Amino acid sequence: MSKNMLLECRDMSFKYPGSTAEVFKNMSYRISGPGFHALFGPSGVGKTTLAKMISGEIKGFSGDISMHAIRRVLYTYNLERIPGWSTVGVHLETTTPESNKEKINQLVSSFGMEACINSRFSQLSLGQQNRINLARYLLQEFDLLIMDESLANVDEVTKENIILMIKAAFPDRCFLYISHNVAEVAKFCKQILVLRSQHKSPQTLSILGQNHSNTKALIKQDLEHTMLEVVNAF
Amino acid sequence: MLSRRIYQFFIIYFLGITVLFLIKYVLNLSDYVIPSPLEIWQTGRHVFIRYLVNVIDTLSIAVLGHLLSICLATIVGIVGRLTIWVGSFIRVAAYNIQAYPIVAVAPIIFILLGDGLSSRLLITAMICYFPLLLSFIGIFSEPVTEIEHFYEATMRMNWRLQVKIRAFENIGKITTVIVGSGTLAIVGTIVSEFIAANAGIGHSIRMALYQSDLAKILVALFLIGICTSLYLVCLERLGLVVQKRLQST
Repeated sequence: MSKNMLLECRDMSFKYPGSTAEVFKNMSYRISGPGFHALFGPSGVGKTTLAKMISGEIKGFSGDISMHAIRRVLYTYNLERIPGWSTVGVHLETTTPESNKEKINQLVSSFGMEACINSRFSQLSLGQQNRINLARYLLQEFDLLIMDESLANVDEVTKENIILMIKAAFPDRCFLYISHNVAEVAKFCKQILVLRSQHKSPQTLSILGQNHSNTKALIKQDLEHTMLEVVNAF
Repeated sequence: MLSRRIYQFFIIYFLGITVLFLIKYVLNLSDYVIPSPLEIWQTGRHVFIRYLVNVIDTLSIAVLGHLLSICLATIVGIVGRLTIWVGSFIRVAAYNIQAYPIVAVAPIIFILLGDGLSSRLLITAMICYFPLLLSFIGIFSEPVTEIEHFYEATMRMNWRLQVKIRAFENIGKITTVIVGSGTLAIVGTIVSEFIAANAGIGHSIRMALYQSDLAKILVALFLIGICTSLYLVCLERLGLVVQKRLQST
């Protein structure tokens, strides 16, 4: 069933209440299949707005969002916090569904967070906070997880290990990865949705990424070509 | 903390007394208008115990009224945070009613409930209730999006968790508001006693006023200042303990 995953948006238009400027105008795109997909574009172009529209946090737009084989959509962003009354370990234990409890240790370990499990969220660095936040979302039930700068402030090596681990551990889930790092999206994502300003037509361009994983080697020239394509799509 | 508050009170009190004596001696006023230091001292020795009992009586009503208003403001604040019509109604009502001086309603309360304990308690609670309520409504209606988002997204959010998050995140503000309203509680009790009650230090001040006895009033003010400082220090200490305990659990 997961191979038939489809997220399709047609003729979407939206402007924030009280604003005259439209964020999107008759925008259409489609994302299909499980794996890592990217939402890429300059700051202020509407990536977070689009993510919130997909997750249902923003309503009141025209057009249509249809999903097939995607029942549960979660959206996470990099400024989220864990309540200060419990440690990271207790929080993960209490918020993880029974069916996923055995994954906690494995996930914490592969995120390199074992030493932080007894700490409070406020005692962690920004990168550690973002990793813990992402881990708790990965422990939930979801079909599509939208990661809005979720690995910001994490060093490149750890970030790469985490993405590769997620791809290996959740092969049947769909991820929409929002990042400003062109090399990152070109390297790890299988489809890159470049969001352009609403004056440009079409407002979205879909580019194939290198989809690097533990089982798929990376060819440097192809990566450079994809990066150029993404940058030129702006 | 205690020494600082008492110290501040002593400075203000003795500055006030000094200004009074300056006025007395510059304008050559009689002891009937402003009593001499010796007369104040003698009056103090004479009424100290009685006034101390009265101040403790007033303070106990103030503490009870304060507790009552905190409980009430918490309950109404929790309901007032709702985005449905009940919440809007409570918010609008609170903003409008708090603009009305409660002291003006006090005579009605005394007529209906008499001049006993219940009237004093009710007026005290009402005087510190509205400032508390407005703060609580503000705190409980303000979402802590970066924490609440996860619980909303995973459909775990319920009203208890929402209140807990908002209260925990604003515990410093809540403590400050409760300590601040402690002064209002004491003021409210004294005002209600001054208006019509038959006990408490406010009642004693009214009696002293009828006798034009400024010495008694000054002694009463001294005891009120000391007791208020002690109560506020207790509240501040309690707030710190609660904050520390919440952060360490």
